[in-house]
Amino acid sequence: MNAIIMDNPDTHSGISNAKLGVWLFLASEVMLFATLFTSYIVLRMGATSWPWGWDALNVPLATLNTAILISSSVTIVMAYAKAYDKDKNGFQLWMAATLALSFAFLVVKAFEYGHEFKLGIAPSTSVFYAVYFTMTGLHGIHILGGIIVNTGLLYMSTKDEHWEHPLFLGRVEGAGLYWHFVDIVWIFLFPALYLL
Amino acid sequence: MSKKIKAAHDAPAERSAHDDHRPDVGLYIKVFAALMVLTLVTVAVSKLHLPRPQAIALGLAVALVKASLVGGIFMHLWGEKKLIHKFLYVTGAFAFLFVITMTDGALLVKKMTQRMPVADQHPDEGGEKVSVSEAVALPPPAAPAPKTAKKGKAK
Repeated sequence: MNAIIMDNPDTHSGISNAKLGVWLFLASEVMLFATLFTSYIVLRMGATSWPWGWDALNVPLATLNTAILISSSVTIVMAYAKAYDKDKNGFQLWMAATLALSFAFLVVKAFEYGHEFKLGIAPSTSVFYAVYFTMTGLHGIHILGGIIVNTGLLYMSTKDEHWEHPLFLGRVEGAGLYWHFVDIVWIFLFPALYLL
Repeated sequence: MSKKIKAAHDAPAERSAHDDHRPDVGLYIKVFAALMVLTLVTVAVSKLHLPRPQAIALGLAVALVKASLVGGIFMHLWGEKKLIHKFLYVTGAFAFLFVITMTDGALLVKKMTQRMPVADQHPDEGGEKVSVSEAVALPPPAAPAPKTAKKGKAK
């Protein structure tokens, strides 16, 4: 038996199946967003003019949302740290903070969308707004997905049987990986749509 | 089975997989501060109205640094198993190939559809410095002929 199997006896790669699965899923997500960013580049290059984000969108609100999402990345990694130490209360506190920040992001986004709709702006208004609504909308759906997963983990953490389960920490790490990926997508979306 | 191997089998599998990623709370706080500062820098620079190419290059560079911090520290990619790195290299290579191919296609279409001066199209033949639009344009409408005196009726 070699050392790799000794490191993690449930796989031959030294990586747990759940973690491997999450990373493969994230790889497919990278390709999904790569197609969208490519569409953005092609449409922008083909456009006769492209608005400056400060003129067309609400940059202060988007900056606030960036700060919220970065903060949520920290809170979820703190939740992982607490789960690692088997600190139930600490985990619940940081995961609840992550959920609160996730909802805050969606509320700010809803204000932004609402203001745009009130002005009569829609995806059909221009190519720029079509790209903006598609990309931010898909990102928002990913936030919703993260909220569902994180809520499930918070609920599971209330039952002691899950804390005794060897896979619980892996689930927390998997949820964290997904959430950080969503954060990274926003890190690129924010300058691409709002600032450049 | 040796005692060490038996111990590895008895230990929770997930826990052993996470031993490499012992959380470092102090580092997380530092990365959080760096991400906030970089966000403010990006917003501040965008107010400077730099020329588009420079602004895009700078914005992309800052975004890459931020993404690297999140990926490397929060996602524990620094110190992660090599297999995960290989997955990401392959994914990145395909994504890059996709972006480059499509962008190149868009550039080509733009080049094909824009009007070029005849001289640039036939540089070896020393074409005239006349644009395509000028070359194919119809001649300006002829000025109306001046009215002449009515001829008398032919007898």
